[in-house]
Amino acid sequence: MAAAALLSGCAGLVPRRQAAAPVGLGPESRQDPALSGNGRLLASVVERGGRSTVLLQDRRSGQVLPLRHLRGQQPHSSPALSWNGRYLALLVQRGPHRQAVVEDRLTGQFYPLLLPPGREPQRLSLAADGRQVAIDLLDNGQRRVEVFDLSTLLEADLAPGQRESGGGPGMVP
Amino acid sequence: MRRWLWRTAWLLPAQALLLLLAGCLGGQLRPLPGLNQQLSRLGSSHDPAFTGQWLALIAARQGREQVVLVNTRRQAPEPLPGLNRPDAQPLSVAVDGQGERLALVRQLEGRTELVLYRRSLMSLQPIRIEPAGVPRQVNLSTDGRVLAVEVSRGGLWQVDLLELP
Repeated sequence: MAAAALLSGCAGLVPRRQAAAPVGLGPESRQDPALSGNGRLLASVVERGGRSTVLLQDRRSGQVLPLRHLRGQQPHSSPALSWNGRYLALLVQRGPHRQAVVEDRLTGQFYPLLLPPGREPQRLSLAADGRQVAIDLLDNGQRRVEVFDLSTLLEADLAPGQRESGGGPGMVP
Repeated sequence: MRRWLWRTAWLLPAQALLLLLAGCLGGQLRPLPGLNQQLSRLGSSHDPAFTGQWLALIAARQGREQVVLVNTRRQAPEPLPGLNRPDAQPLSVAVDGQGERLALVRQLEGRTELVLYRRSLMSLQPIRIEPAGVPRQVNLSTDGRVLAVEVSRGGLWQVDLLELP
């Protein structure tokens, strides 16, 4: 079927399609999807009690996976997952400000990522191994993307068979 | 001196505790200066998709927004022939871990469409949204096999998952 879909060339690519697994509340709004590097987990933002809340699910079974630290910090936005889904990075609301945070699902630790004053995160994206993060920042009315190192906070979440390599992009010798 | 030391000695455990808490609870982010300097040359940029080696983003270049793919090891943009069009407005971009597949939501001729770009082939294929809907955010698994797209459909935002061949 996928091959047949591929052959429909001029009509466009028609991949095998699956709706995100429902979460037991009937039709509901779901936004901001983020897949783990291996594609097994899906994070998305749903409405819970009128508040945008991140939800982590097994993509195939729809099973909802527990998150420990995010309650009371809504609205959540811009989730991102590492390769195996060990790390979930996202933006949460802390008082009047948005803050980038990372939850380590393996150890249960929670890491607020402190940005220089005056810079408000708008979106983020986590490297597959979880050791760097690209953040879309609003600074003096202008948006720009910057990359930050997390290797002193987080150990690598690697694909099976992948070896950790030294250094990283932009590292100054 | 001894008296001063005696008075301040109690502060040491408190300072140690603060340092420990700072370590456990996160901390100031360490920017990557070389890469960020290159990114600042792009001017205004937003909506990053980052794998580690590859960073796709939307940047305002020469007065219009376009998709830029940065190879972070070389700290330089890679050419994307056939992807950016002067009459298209990119809205969201995603990239796989090889820097080979880019998924893009863009507005073109009054429509919003989802397309898949293969860098080695320089090919661009539209991806049909079924049932019909308007795509917005797109995300690609690092292995490049699964695509998740946020779609406005019947007054609701939904997420479609697509397995790519």
